[in-house]
Amino acid sequence: MTEAIYPQVRIVSTRFLRPDTVEQLLNRLVQVGGILRMSLTGQNLPVTVPYGPARGKPNLHPDRKVIRVGDQDVQLQVQVGNVILELEDESYIPAVEEAVDEVFASKDFSCTVQRGRFMKTQPTVSDYAKYGPDADKEILGLVDPRKKEGPIIIQGNK
Amino acid sequence: MNEVKENMAYKPQYGPGTSKVAENRRKQMNPNQKLEKMRDVTDEDIVLILGHRAPGAAYPTAHPPLAEQQEPDCPIRKIVTPTEGAKAGDRVRYIQFADSMFFAPSQPYQRTYTECYRFRGIDPGTLSGRQIVECRERDLEKYSKELVETELLDPARTGIRGATVHGHSLRLAENGMMFDMLQRSVLGEDGIVRYVKNQIGEPLDRAVAIGKPLDEKWLKAHTTIFHSLGSTAYRDDAEYIEYVQRIHTLRTKYGFLPKEA
Repeated sequence: MTEAIYPQVRIVSTRFLRPDTVEQLLNRLVQVGGILRMSLTGQNLPVTVPYGPARGKPNLHPDRKVIRVGDQDVQLQVQVGNVILELEDESYIPAVEEAVDEVFASKDFSCTVQRGRFMKTQPTVSDYAKYGPDADKEILGLVDPRKKEGPIIIQGNK
Repeated sequence: MNEVKENMAYKPQYGPGTSKVAENRRKQMNPNQKLEKMRDVTDEDIVLILGHRAPGAAYPTAHPPLAEQQEPDCPIRKIVTPTEGAKAGDRVRYIQFADSMFFAPSQPYQRTYTECYRFRGIDPGTLSGRQIVECRERDLEKYSKELVETELLDPARTGIRGATVHGHSLRLAENGMMFDMLQRSVLGEDGIVRYVKNQIGEPLDRAVAIGKPLDEKWLKAHTTIFHSLGSTAYRDDAEYIEYVQRIHTLRTKYGFLPKEA
């Protein structure tokens, strides 16, 4: 769960992003620093065809790639549409906006940075029913806490 | 193909509206209007994308050919000429399309109207994000060829998707392609869109090229979708609104079964 004191921003582009653009954007954001948590959202890209007559067959999707962010490999599981960030304090927001403008300057579509509250602050009754009382509160509301892979930790430059 | 007879008592209007979008809709629906051919796709390519039978294989049948079986004495059967597929006893198979809301050349309701005016022996199914048409297999291949080759399809913003159709209302990808979870069609380096999977998502032995995506200007000029951002807004077509409101009022009143005084 997020602490209400931390500001959050959401980076929304008018197009779904290619893995190389995501890599470029995230590496630029990592340079800005001050990011506590980050979540990539978008449409799911499953490993196998989930339903229909071809159910269970491998789904080779060119955008389901491993990208390199900072010193970590990140397996993309979605077609990235939004990036949600939780920051240490508000002073990082102008730098994030600048970074986004820089990355999208050469693109023929726009991208905006929205301020607001985009991560869950409190578990709901449904969360309790689904995941029980011991669910990892750090990632609840961002991804399924029952997932085996934990969050990817990118070391900061402090 | 169907054609409107010259000696009909009235001239069909196909749809209301004074806007460009309304005009495009009428153009697609009118069977006397030849659809512009945009690309060449071979019969084998169509069979591959559909994925119902192997190319070159015989058509599996659901019943013996009509000529070989006893037909009941039915006046309707005497009036209606069976289609080629029905005559041969083919199975009923389908093609399904998803059209992006970002100015795709056609959309589900429009497709159904268009097909009903232009093709025989079909059973279209219309949903919000996809449109399916079922018919006898060899008729399907003939109709599919027309649906794919003409201006009803844009390689980037129209998807031939038998299952997992999600994507029509989503943002486009960076390269202008409509989102497809199974990525059946891929935009190549050379700017040509190729189907690498058949409509249900099974990989194809060879990629099927269906041409270059149409440019934004062409799409906006030929779209049949009202869109307040970037195209004609629905509310700007007063005649269309008036017609829809009239139908709405009449069917609401009819719900109360009004009696003429």
